[in-house]
Amino acid sequence: MNDNRWGLPDLGLGIGLRGTHYAHILSQEPEIGFFEILTENYLDTGGRPLHILDQITERYPTVMHGVSMSIGSTDPIDFEYLAKVKALAERTGALWVSDHICWTGVLGRNTHDLLPLPYTEESLAHSVERVKTIQDFLERPLVLENPSTYLEFAASDMKEWEFVARLTEEADCGLLFDVNNVYVSAFNHGYDPVTYIDAIPADRVCQYHLAGHTHKGTHIIDTHSDHVVDPVWELFGHTIRTIGLRATLLEWDADIPTFDVVHQEVLKADSWRRLEVANVA
Amino acid sequence: MLPEQPQLERLQRWMQEVVVHPGSIDQAVTSPGAEREIPSRQLGEVILPSHSLTASERVGVYQGMYLMRMEEALATDYPVIKHFLGDEDFDELIQDYVGRYPSRSYTLNRLGDHLPQFLADRPDWSRDGFLADLARLELAMTEVFDEEETPVLSGEDLESVPAETWEEACLRPIAALRLLELDHAVVPHLTAFHRQRPCPNPMKRPSWVAVYRRDYSVLRLELSAPEYALLSVLVDGTPLGEALADAVAAKDSARKQARVYRWFRNWIREGLFSTIDTGSAT
Repeated sequence: MNDNRWGLPDLGLGIGLRGTHYAHILSQEPEIGFFEILTENYLDTGGRPLHILDQITERYPTVMHGVSMSIGSTDPIDFEYLAKVKALAERTGALWVSDHICWTGVLGRNTHDLLPLPYTEESLAHSVERVKTIQDFLERPLVLENPSTYLEFAASDMKEWEFVARLTEEADCGLLFDVNNVYVSAFNHGYDPVTYIDAIPADRVCQYHLAGHTHKGTHIIDTHSDHVVDPVWELFGHTIRTIGLRATLLEWDADIPTFDVVHQEVLKADSWRRLEVANVA
Repeated sequence: MLPEQPQLERLQRWMQEVVVHPGSIDQAVTSPGAEREIPSRQLGEVILPSHSLTASERVGVYQGMYLMRMEEALATDYPVIKHFLGDEDFDELIQDYVGRYPSRSYTLNRLGDHLPQFLADRPDWSRDGFLADLARLELAMTEVFDEEETPVLSGEDLESVPAETWEEACLRPIAALRLLELDHAVVPHLTAFHRQRPCPNPMKRPSWVAVYRRDYSVLRLELSAPEYALLSVLVDGTPLGEALADAVAAKDSARKQARVYRWFRNWIREGLFSTIDTGSAT
């Protein structure tokens, strides 16, 4: 087990910052390791969201998580967007900036979905070049998340975990390892999630995500709308035994409950982390 | 041996055509745009089936979520229009709208920018211009919510302006201010929505509204026609002397002059102005 190669800190347990919790956070100042902000929510506002964000970043470590970098798209890179991302990272003092291994649109359009890539040499080479360009522009390592996917392309000539490992190594970028997404995709595509976890290069992993999902019977959708299910907690235990402790964040984006419910959910990760520390000792 | 696979660029064009199609998944994969990129008969050679879903059902998972995401974003920006139309008609409106104005931005916050114009241009949706007016009000509220924070001119700031510079002085509005001149009375619909009451029937009656932000809250002020006229010319940068001369003639009654004074006092109290430019070097 190694730390990530950039020495990015283990911030402990964090929660995705959502508007419904602003008042609670500012008035109660809950004890929490860090907040992750949704990048696009703060790029074009000079109003209340940014005013509150400034207060929260004064009190808590913050990381940024975006959905529009579209690193796998065949459209040109949007440098106007990247300039805004860079400025926000400087304003908030974000410890790192993350996005997803996906594409969101082509021909100038944005579907605002995290669409899957075929895992081919062509799309790997394409994505590697774009990640390098983006990192040069941002002047910081980019951290990319493995997505939940609902289909597989016949063109893929490697497994998702091979693609993820090679992308992070060849582009020299970080990995935001979403354990729930591994579970979701493993069910949808019928593979063993442990094989996926065991193939991930530990020194690339900077952060973990946990979330709830919606099981539709025939497939699972990554809805971030519920508690984390037990099999995902088991996979999280395996992940930290294999890769090590990293900043761990709970996402809850639909049917959002009170802050305390979300907080209690992420605190469950603490027992798994303590177990890992005890095992190492 | 698999048949030759489409290149990444073509695969993405095809998938986008399918995902944004408003019909069923079968209609989507057989639409002219999708067929042009990848013939539907080859679908099974491009997307693998899973243990429980066919190839088209799997791409249909993405297609089914697209319009839901657009509707959710626009319902956030236009809750009163949704309240007025009801869920079914609102969904139909959004399907029409995003077909004409799909997102071309990294943010969904700007997705609804063209809705007032779209409604004005479409007789089947406009309700004789009522919905376009309601959309203008809701768009103004969204814009004001996100505007830059600018300093607010206080009564003390005004009092410090030398009397001899008043004639040529220009008031500069805060960034978070929009003035609307509408053909319909739409504020009652906003009120009905906030009080969770049924919407009143649309009423064609001219109305004038200032939408602005104070202490990070979006507020609105209903104006009379002359109040709107004076505030508009001030916001446009007309010097105070000229604007007031047009609004209040010397022969006007003291009562009318007092009314204009009350407007000013109210605008300053509500924080509608940011600075006063007296033209003097600072």
